[in-house]
Amino acid sequence: MNRFFQLGFLIIGMASGLSAQSEAPSVPILSGAVAFQGTTTGGASSFTPIIVPVFVAPLGDHWLIESRAEVQGFIARDNGTTGPYSGHFFAAFDYLQLDYIANPHLTITVGRFLTPFNIYNERFPLWVANLVDTPIVYTIGTRTSASSNGGMVRGVAIAQPKWNLTYTAYASTSVTTENLQSGRAAGGRVGLFLPQAGMEVGASYQRFLQNGNSNIAGTYFAWQPPQIPLDVRAEYAHSPGGQGYWLEGAYHLARTRDEETWLSRLQVVGRIQQYFKGNPTPVDALPLTNVNQFDFGLNYYLPHNVRVNGSYGREFSSAGNANIWNFEIVYRFLFPAWPGGHQ
Amino acid sequence: MKTLLLTLLLILLLGYSLKVFAAPQTANQAQKTSKTAANNNAASDPGEQKFKQNCGRCHNPPDSLSPREVKAVVQHMRVRAMLSAEDEQLIRKYLAP
Repeated sequence: MNRFFQLGFLIIGMASGLSAQSEAPSVPILSGAVAFQGTTTGGASSFTPIIVPVFVAPLGDHWLIESRAEVQGFIARDNGTTGPYSGHFFAAFDYLQLDYIANPHLTITVGRFLTPFNIYNERFPLWVANLVDTPIVYTIGTRTSASSNGGMVRGVAIAQPKWNLTYTAYASTSVTTENLQSGRAAGGRVGLFLPQAGMEVGASYQRFLQNGNSNIAGTYFAWQPPQIPLDVRAEYAHSPGGQGYWLEGAYHLARTRDEETWLSRLQVVGRIQQYFKGNPTPVDALPLTNVNQFDFGLNYYLPHNVRVNGSYGREFSSAGNANIWNFEIVYRFLFPAWPGGHQ
Repeated sequence: MKTLLLTLLLILLLGYSLKVFAAPQTANQAQKTSKTAANNNAASDPGEQKFKQNCGRCHNPPDSLSPREVKAVVQHMRVRAMLSAEDEQLIRKYLAP
């Protein structure tokens, strides 16, 4: 353990030293979010306090260490809707990776990283996601833990003023160690981003190499029109265990994206999703019946990076319909992890 | 009991964070507001444009960032959001002119 800490301090020291040599001195940063969530599904309530610290340490201009941990509790009644409340706490590393920015088109990553299937897993941490619940098809392409252990290459293959072509390819090994689980898989993603239109489309593929090899595919769409504070996102994912899609729209009550009033801080969110059962296995973490669901939510962005949101959803399934209520308060923080960082 | 105590600790941490970080950011907010206003006047700022096109798709500008923090933040987002090298430079200059 002492060696671990010594290595940590050495790395941070290197970060500071190397940064001091470059033109723009930098400091490691500690970012992330603290949140408290409350959920009632079909009458069963649960509460989830979460801390998600993100640590970033640049090592000069080409190397970067990034990590994100997740410590969360789950507090619920012992028998669903009856009995005393009891809780459990969990901790896991979402990613702990070393990046080498080789050139403008290539970044090489080794370690533990978020599995890059479609966009939800990588781009919607809890302080970005508009709704508390993850989409039903979220587990498709992100088994077994939404993180991978191995290597990844990614970058912008072609950068033009009107369009960018991005790519990601990765390979992951199976790890069953507690808090560091991952599946044996390989895959990739390509995306076309049109910055002036605020539009992105892309496709993902994964070959899952355990529990009987299988092919998983997906596609996504995101659109943020530059003049209107509207945010549209959608994903479709297909696997032998099941397939489905979600479509989400979010709108700030303002005429333009730059408008700042008390009303423009309010965001109205709606999401619909459909899931069609295939032959799911326990590791798929997918519903065992077809599911249709809609969610409606209100988010309010308070000053100082605090957001409060509440939502109502209705799940329609042959296993039984259910009302889903969610509440969340989340605070996003960011500060330097090294003395002098405020300068 | 242990769980309840941990939960209370988390809530206290959240409250403490709000209190501690809100105060210094009040001054920084004013700086940011003036910066935003200045940049809104100069609508052709390519760094601001790139920020809105890329970073603004998921989140608002941070309340404040020191020049030493900006490099780490933008390098982090270059990898995560797959910014092009040119966009990274422009956004870095916009956030820490």
